[in-house]
Amino acid sequence: MTLLKLENVTKRFGGLTAVNKMSFEIEQGESIAIVGPNGSGKTTLYNVISGVYFPEEGEVIFEGKNITHLPPYRRAPLGLGRTFQIPRPFSSATVRENVAVGAMFGTLSNKIGVDESLETADRYIELVGLSAHIDKEAGSLTPTEKKLMEIARALAMKPKLLLMDEALAGMHPKDIDKMVVFLKKVKEEENIAIVSMVEHIMRAVAGFAERVIVMYQGEKLIDAMTAQALSDPRVVEVYLGHPPEGTHA
Amino acid sequence: MKGKIVKYYPLIPVYIAYLILFLIGINVSGMWQLVAMLAFYCAIGQAFNIFLGMTGYVDFGYVAFMGVGTYGMALSISHLHQVQWLGMGIIIIGLLLALVMASLLSIAVGAVALRLRGAYFAIATIGVNEGFRFLIEGAKIWGGSEGIIFSGQLTQTFGRETASLLSTLWADIFLFFIACIAAFITIYYMRGKIGYALTALREDEDAAKVMGINVTKYKIIAFITSASLAGLVGASAWALKLTYVFPPQVFEIHYTVECIIIVLLGGAGTLLGPVVGGLVYGLTKYWLTVIVPGFQLLIFAPIIIVIIVAFPEGIVGVLKRRFKGTTFKKFII
Amino acid sequence: MIGAQLTGNLMQGLILGGIYGMATMGLSLIFGVLKVVNVGHGAFIMIGAFITLWIFTAFGLAPVIAIPVALIVGMAIGFVFFYLVMRRLIKAPELASLLATFAIGILLEEIAKLIFGSEFRGYNWAVGKIILPITVFPMSKIYAFIGSIAIALLLYIWFKKTRAGTAVRSVVEDSEGARVCGVNVGWVYALSFAIGIGLTVTSGVLLTMFIPVGINPYMGGGYTLKAFVIAVLGGLTSPYGAFFGGLIFGLIENGSYTLFALIPGVEAFAMTRFLSFLILLLILLIKPTGLLGAK
Repeated sequence: MTLLKLENVTKRFGGLTAVNKMSFEIEQGESIAIVGPNGSGKTTLYNVISGVYFPEEGEVIFEGKNITHLPPYRRAPLGLGRTFQIPRPFSSATVRENVAVGAMFGTLSNKIGVDESLETADRYIELVGLSAHIDKEAGSLTPTEKKLMEIARALAMKPKLLLMDEALAGMHPKDIDKMVVFLKKVKEEENIAIVSMVEHIMRAVAGFAERVIVMYQGEKLIDAMTAQALSDPRVVEVYLGHPPEGTHA
Repeated sequence: MKGKIVKYYPLIPVYIAYLILFLIGINVSGMWQLVAMLAFYCAIGQAFNIFLGMTGYVDFGYVAFMGVGTYGMALSISHLHQVQWLGMGIIIIGLLLALVMASLLSIAVGAVALRLRGAYFAIATIGVNEGFRFLIEGAKIWGGSEGIIFSGQLTQTFGRETASLLSTLWADIFLFFIACIAAFITIYYMRGKIGYALTALREDEDAAKVMGINVTKYKIIAFITSASLAGLVGASAWALKLTYVFPPQVFEIHYTVECIIIVLLGGAGTLLGPVVGGLVYGLTKYWLTVIVPGFQLLIFAPIIIVIIVAFPEGIVGVLKRRFKGTTFKKFII
Repeated sequence: MIGAQLTGNLMQGLILGGIYGMATMGLSLIFGVLKVVNVGHGAFIMIGAFITLWIFTAFGLAPVIAIPVALIVGMAIGFVFFYLVMRRLIKAPELASLLATFAIGILLEEIAKLIFGSEFRGYNWAVGKIILPITVFPMSKIYAFIGSIAIALLLYIWFKKTRAGTAVRSVVEDSEGARVCGVNVGWVYALSFAIGIGLTVTSGVLLTMFIPVGINPYMGGGYTLKAFVIAVLGGLTSPYGAFFGGLIFGLIENGSYTLFALIPGVEAFAMTRFLSFLILLLILLIKPTGLLGAK
C-alpha cells in the first residue's frame, strides 16, 4: 500500500528552484535512501514532506490524504517522524523528557498522559541503548548520542514513515554498522518505512536501503533498486560534478 | 497517588518562604511596607515567569497587563460605588474586571504578536504597550491623560478606616494570594503536557512543531495565564494601594524591565526562581534606596550586566546544579 | 489655509525625518550584523546631545564641530561595551542581549545624571534662518539635515566600496557563509557595533541642532521608541532602509499631527504617537521586511 506520494512537487526560494517537479511513491515498510550532493535539494524536500515549507506546486499525499498544506504539528501525529542533519535536542530537558515529548505529542491519540509518555520513553531509550544517560540533560550528550536520542524521540512518535537526515554522517564506521543493523531491526519490528538521506553513497546505503533515489539540482535523476542505482554511470558523474545527460544544468 | 503529591513537593519551599515573609510582616512592627514591596516583586515575577521563563519569549510590553488590570479595578470602584447593595462586591468585581480585561488584551496581543519571533516579538510588544497608552491619552478614554482618581469614592463607600485598611493591608494580602496561585499554576503546567510543550518550543520551536506540538496554542496559553495574573497584580498593588491610575505610570517600561530582572536573577523557567529573584531584587533595591538614595540605578545597572554575562541561568539555576543528585533536588526546580 | 500649514509642516517633517533616519541607522546596522536590538539606543543619542552642549557652551564652538568628536567618542564607547559585554552575548538568547543593552542604557543615563544633573538644558546657535511664505527654517536645522544626508552617503560609500564594508554586508547576509569565505566575523561584529554606536552618538549632535532644547539624561527614551518604528519601516536590518524609513516617519509624524489637531476632543500629540505604533504593528504583521524590503 502506498504510504507517501509526491506529485510534481516544486519549491522555490526567490528565483532559486530548490526542488523541481519531484514525484515518487513510498510503500509501507520500505527502506529508501535519498542521495545527492550537497545543495541538491534533499533537505528542502524533507522540509516539504514534514510541513516546514509548503510547496509552490504539486501535492503531498499521505495514506491517501492530501497533506500539502497541513501545518507540521498536524502532520507528525499522522505518522511522520523525522530527525535532523544536525541533531536538535531540547537541550535543557533530560533525555527521558525529550523522548517523552515525542510520545506525548507525536501520536494521534490525545489521551496519552505524561506518565504514560515517560514509560514509553524508557522503552525507546533502552532500544537505542541510552539507558545509562536517561537523566542527563540532552545538551550534554555526545553528537552520536544526540543522534540516537533523536531516533528514539522520533520512534516514540510511533511513525509509519521515519525521515532521517544524514543519520550516519560523522559516525565512527563501527557505529555505522551497528546503526544499520539497528535500523533494519526497527523497520521489521515496528513496520516503519524509513527514508534516509545521505550526501555520499557508501556501503551503508547498500547495506540498508532497498531502493535509492538520486537527486541532482532539485530534480529526481534516478529511482531504482539499490544494486541497479549504484551501478548507474550517471551516479558517478553527479558526484564528480559533471552535469549528467538528460538534465538541464 | 503518592507519586502525584511528590510532584508538588517543590511548592513547599516556595510556600514556606511566603509564609515566613507574611509572618515577619504582621509581627514585626514597621516591616509591613517592606514585606508588601517584596510580595509585589515575588508575585509579578512569578506571574511573568509563566510566560517569559517558560517560553523564552521576551514581552517588553508586559506592564500593559498590569496597567489594564489597574484600570479594571479603577473603573469598578469609580462607576459602581454608588450602587449601595454591592458593598465589598465592587472590589470583587474590580478583580474580575482586571482579570477579564488583561486576558482580553492578551488574546488580542497574542493573536498578533505571537506570530513573530525573537527580537520582532519584543519590538511588537513595546509597540502594543506604548500604542495602548497613547490611545488612552489621545482619544481621552478612561479619563485620558488625567487618569482616574478614586480615593474619594473609596472612603465615601467604605468609610475612612476600611478604605485605609484596603490600601495598606488587604491589597498586599491579595498579592500573597496571587503569588501562591501563580506558583501553583507554574508547577501544574510544568508537570503536565503544557510544560513539556513549552520546554520544547523554548529550546527549538521548529523542531517542536515537527514533533507534533501546536506551538501557537501553548504559547497563547502561557501568555494569557501570565497576563491575567499581571492584571490581578495591577488591580491590587496599584489600583487598591495607590487609589488612582495615571497612564504614563501604569505603562512605564521600567516596570517590565524590573520583572525581567527578577525572573532572570532568580532563574528563568524555574519555580523557585521568581521568589528568590523577587526577594533579592526587592531587598537590594530597598537597601540601596536607604544608603545611596537617588543612585540605586547607577549601581544596579552594572550588577545586571554582570549577572547576564556571568550567571545567565540565575541563582536557582546555579543551586539546581549544586544540589544535583542530593535529597534537596526534588524541592528545587 | 490648512493646506499651506500642512505643506509647511510636511517640509519641516521631511527635514526632521532625515535626521530621524540618520539616528536609526546605527540601530539597524547593529541589528543587521549582531541580531541584537539595542534597547539602550536613546542613551547614546543623549551622549551626543551633551557633547554638543559641552562643545558649544564651554568652547563657544559651532555644534557642527561636535560631529567628529561624537563619532570618535561613540565608536570608542562602542568598542568598550562590545568587548566587555556584547561579545559574550551574541550566541545567547534574546533575553540576555535585550536586557544587557537596556542596562547599558540605564548606566549611561545615570552617569550623565551624576555629572550633569537631571534638569533640562539647551543652547541657542543663531546662524540665521530661511523665511518661506508657509514656514521658517533656522539655518541650524538645514545644516543638521545636510549633515545627516552627508553621513548617510558616506556610510553608503563605505559599505559598497571598501573591503571592510563588503565584509560587513556579507555578515548581514549570512554570517556562516561569510565565516567560511574567510571573513573575520568577530572583528566585523566589533566594528559594526562600534560604528553603530558612533553613528547613534553623532545623531545626537544633529538632533540637538534641530531641537536645541530639552537636553537631559533621560531624553533618549522617546527616541528609542521612534527608532524602533523607523527601523521596522526600513526593514530592521538595513541602514539605508532606516534612513528612508526616517524620512517617511518624519512626514507621517508632522502630517498626522497637523491633521489630528483639527479633530476636537483628542490630544493630537498622543494620537500621533499612537498612529506611529499602529504603523509599527501593521508592518511587523504584513511585511516584516519593511516597506522598502525585498520580497
